[in-house]
Amino acid sequence: MTEPVTVEIAIQALRRYPLRTALALVGLAIGVGAVLVTIALGTGAQSAIRDQVRAAGLNVIVVKAGNYRTKGEGGGGVVAPHGFLRKLQDALTPTAHAHPENDPMEKHDHPTAAERLGDAEAGLGGAATLTQEDANAIASLDGVAHVASGVHENVKVFAGDNRWFTRLHGTDVDLPLVRRAHTLVFGRFFDTGELEGSARVAVLGSVVHQKLFGDGVDPVGSEINLWGQAFRVIGVTASTNWMTPGAPGDDEFDAVYVPYTTIHTLLNVTNLNTITVTTESSGEVTNVRSAITDLLRARHTIPDTAPDDFTVSTQATEILAKGLHPNVARVLVGNLPNLEKVTLQELSATLERAGSTMKALLAAIAAVSLVVGGIGITNIMLLSVTERTREIGLRMSVGARAKDVSSQFFVEALTLALTGGVAGVVLGIVVSAILTGAFGWSTEISLGAVLAAFAIAVAIGVVSGFLPARRAAALDPIDALRYE
Amino acid sequence: MIRIEELTKTYLLGEVRVEALQGVSLEIESGEFVAVIGSSGSGKSTLMHILGCLDRPTSGNYFFTGRDVSQLSPDEQALIRNEQIGFVFQSFNLLPRTPAVDNVELPLLYAKERLSRSDRRSRAAAALESVGLADRADHQPSQLSGGQQQRVAIARALMNQPDILLADEPTGNLDSRTSIDIMKTFQSLNKDRGITIIIITHERVIADYASRVIELADGRIETDTVQRAVEATPS
Repeated sequence: MTEPVTVEIAIQALRRYPLRTALALVGLAIGVGAVLVTIALGTGAQSAIRDQVRAAGLNVIVVKAGNYRTKGEGGGGVVAPHGFLRKLQDALTPTAHAHPENDPMEKHDHPTAAERLGDAEAGLGGAATLTQEDANAIASLDGVAHVASGVHENVKVFAGDNRWFTRLHGTDVDLPLVRRAHTLVFGRFFDTGELEGSARVAVLGSVVHQKLFGDGVDPVGSEINLWGQAFRVIGVTASTNWMTPGAPGDDEFDAVYVPYTTIHTLLNVTNLNTITVTTESSGEVTNVRSAITDLLRARHTIPDTAPDDFTVSTQATEILAKGLHPNVARVLVGNLPNLEKVTLQELSATLERAGSTMKALLAAIAAVSLVVGGIGITNIMLLSVTERTREIGLRMSVGARAKDVSSQFFVEALTLALTGGVAGVVLGIVVSAILTGAFGWSTEISLGAVLAAFAIAVAIGVVSGFLPARRAAALDPIDALRYE
Repeated sequence: MIRIEELTKTYLLGEVRVEALQGVSLEIESGEFVAVIGSSGSGKSTLMHILGCLDRPTSGNYFFTGRDVSQLSPDEQALIRNEQIGFVFQSFNLLPRTPAVDNVELPLLYAKERLSRSDRRSRAAAALESVGLADRADHQPSQLSGGQQQRVAIARALMNQPDILLADEPTGNLDSRTSIDIMKTFQSLNKDRGITIIIITHERVIADYASRVIELADGRIETDTVQRAVEATPS
């Protein structure tokens, strides 16, 4: 349809009006670049969500002391004791120790232990039914990779004049292997020697570090104070994931990690609140989960008619409950006994869908800007036809056919669109790289996104070239020559 | 070369019928230098458009180089304009911001025979040289005087070695001295290269440089006289 000479004519004509050509190109390049960047951001966010699910642990099982349900798996719909029964049960259930938060007159500017999911007091609640021996027994089960014991408290932590109310986790040396979204930005985690010696060493979560010492200050070797006892800071742990940076009130980075043995010694307790288990592969989660249930029921000598005195949950429950109001989470988790059966695949799919919706929304906004850019090109080309009426008349007088004139204008629009498209793709890639490099936003440019952005540019070229080309070709040579 | 018989052209301007040509018959031989004069509204421009295959007559016949071209399709007309007719306009009609050599090259871009870029260049340069503007090849129209621009336009009209050169008020935008220069150029093209030239003008002095003067009034030929052309003397 188009001969090489037409392309030559079109390019020559475009170069004759460098400013107009440049403006049209910039408009289109920004449009295409914006589409590409938003798609890259959307795709990047999706991948980040996927990574997060993966990092949060496809293979993590958490065993908690106590049980929100009155009966085991089949206990759906059974209401937990309340009223008089509840009070009776509370009276009969021994608590590990008196907790300062239980003082009803105390006001807290943070979720209290009772409000936190892990310490929910429904059912057998905070009964510390787990022991280190349970943890050791679980560690020897087939398919178990790592086991981390956990004792959890709320403490005021002091460093010089600074203080911060936070979460204290007594845990095991294996925790860094379990929590894969953590990275040590300073120092190290405690070792087996320190664990066995109940050493007074602490690893700070990034939020605590920031509150007590300030960002970027290396606190390793400094002293902090818990319950009036001096602890030596040996490390700082932070999130590897930009989607979930540490925030005040979270359980992972607004926290201090110490050996669980140290808490046992200081508080004179022996029980555990949680045992966190990772399996060797995510496919074994279900098997290991039931093996743990059987093992613990046997170890705790629970008769068949009685409910578990512990709760085994997989990461699915953790993720679903995360961010919900504690009471809502409690109802959700307590009344959906089959919740653990929600596979991580289903969970990922849900998150993926949310990501796709976001991506589609972003892309739609960008597409609107691209359409506006396209209308701009159409407008410029239409104006150009009017402005160049005499040129068209002249070309016709020296032998250009209507077809030659229309192809010229069509090729001009297409050349603008193609060049703008290429420039836009380059712009999009550069901007995405800058966003990732300078701001740490995850972006991902796929070949599909590049092709889609480019295809839209070409479509705009075709559409915006058609109308002006037709108008130019329809001109009568005499009228065109006379046009003032 | 040109034979027209009982040519009429009627326009409709809204409700009004304008009879621009009311039965014009004439013959022009190859190698003639003809001036068509008349006041505005006499039909001279309409006649030129039909002679130049830019327009078609309402009735009558037009034989161009022996062929009836009065009812050709727009594409066929374009081909004749490209290969056999050269136009020179009152307002030069050069492409703005485009070097002279590119302007001259223009007809070759639409020629049936596809020449290479370098062939087009050298032919355009030669055409510029023939009108004495070899050293202005890279100048844009805005950098050239009116006379120079019109000579560029003449070079462009000559590109495809046309049988006939049609000039519509070629000196209308030029001062009298430059006008004589341009007429001199036409005379030498006519004499040395044997190109048939038809000039439309409303100035008697310009018509004097032609060897035949046809006067139009109200769409009809009033007089048709062969004369001794005034020699344009280079200034």
